[in-house]
Amino acid sequence: MVGLSLGEKNFIKGGIAQDIRTDGRKRLTYRPIFVETGVIPQASGSARVKMGATDVIASVKGRGGEELSVELSTALQRCLLGGKSGAGAGIDLSSLSIVEGKVCWDIYIDGLVVSSDGNLLDALGAAVKAALSNTAIPKVEVTANASSEEQPEVDVSDEEFLQFDTTGVPVIITLTKVGSHYIVDATPEEESQMSSAVSISVNSQGRICGLTKRGGAGLDPSIILDMISVAKHVSDQLFNKLDSEIAAAEACDDE
Amino acid sequence: MEYVSPEGLRLDGRRPTEMRQLRAEVGVVAKADGSASFEMGNTKVIAAVYGPREVQNKGQQMDDQALVRCEYSMANFSTGDRMRKPKGDRRSTEISLVIRQTMEACILTHLMPRSQIDIFVQVLQADGGTRSACINAATLALADAGIPMRDLVTSCSAGYLNNIPLLDLNYVEDSAGGPDVTVGILPKLDKVTLLQMDAKLPIDIFENVMQLAIEGCKAVANYIREILLENTKKLEFCRGV
Repeated sequence: MVGLSLGEKNFIKGGIAQDIRTDGRKRLTYRPIFVETGVIPQASGSARVKMGATDVIASVKGRGGEELSVELSTALQRCLLGGKSGAGAGIDLSSLSIVEGKVCWDIYIDGLVVSSDGNLLDALGAAVKAALSNTAIPKVEVTANASSEEQPEVDVSDEEFLQFDTTGVPVIITLTKVGSHYIVDATPEEESQMSSAVSISVNSQGRICGLTKRGGAGLDPSIILDMISVAKHVSDQLFNKLDSEIAAAEACDDE
Repeated sequence: MEYVSPEGLRLDGRRPTEMRQLRAEVGVVAKADGSASFEMGNTKVIAAVYGPREVQNKGQQMDDQALVRCEYSMANFSTGDRMRKPKGDRRSTEISLVIRQTMEACILTHLMPRSQIDIFVQVLQADGGTRSACINAATLALADAGIPMRDLVTSCSAGYLNNIPLLDLNYVEDSAGGPDVTVGILPKLDKVTLLQMDAKLPIDIFENVMQLAIEGCKAVANYIREILLENTKKLEFCRGV
């Protein structure tokens, strides 16, 4: 990114203070979101999300595994998996088990950034949610006569699939603090002027699933609480938008 | 194993001299100076070109020509079994080098001294022929970026299984262990700029296989020209011409 002149920096900060950003948006408006599912036929589920010029692809691959394990990068992991005991997790991990305590599905979620134009975490969170909605886990038949010590025999069906339940999957909302105001969906120029940013993952019940703060400036605790309530408010719109986009994409896919 | 049935059909239903379906799109990465996606059957790659721009590492700057850098990486989900290391492994380093040398030969680097051109190629889905798809995508991306070139560079692979030369191998045919010849040509100038082969072939059969691959490259070149013409018409329309 080319450096910004002093005049441009003041323009960005001033605009945000007056609720008119450089591209005409209001502080809490997202850029147009475009969702496409099923972009990687080889994966169990996949999605591509574009927010403005930011373009990310998420893919979900299931594999028969020995123990329950989910691999994600740390920030996404905190937001999706919840606490150590699995309390408050976004994904219902028990839906992945095939034989209690012995065999289950390993889910690998990979995110790839094709083009970065700010607000990567939000786009990746949305892409993971869309990819999970697109994921179909093959039905598994377990042969009944396994004794308690041996590995049970499993037969993976090629025809029948179970859709993953994504109602509990949260979305990530990043609030960037510029001056004394917060904006949502920051472009790289706006991000360069931030004092700090807080990424909050909220699920459809309005519960906070994870939180992470970036940026050097210290934040007063009351500000963080305020940002959380703003994020909850923004999450309603984002959920509606995402759900309708994902449903449209899936419908397109089915045709 | 039988790769060509007695009726003359391959595992995916193609004839031995038939290429897979080609699909290309220009301008897929908004932030890049030039970008393109290229699909050969199930192999899907995206290429993004940044440049000419200021050299980031002044030590590598050349006073009489542009510096061309290339990075090839495969997405974790691109192959059937999930890959752990998308780049930095030996195969990726080798392919990056091959693509860089191929593109550098055709870019008019002397027109852009002291500058840098970055080519990033990302494989989204790998089903054989990724090297060729990457070179084709890079050609389109460089054209989209307006970087001056001597000619297009197109590439295609061919092999020899069950004693029959096969054009455009997919992953199954490639992993059969037979010879795999990858050719890159400059179609208008009719010159070969890339030639690689694994395994062994008698020389006369090699000539046939190489010719087949060259025919494949020419077919790709026709397709790429069509795509670029369409893209230019669209740009003219946007400009109001």
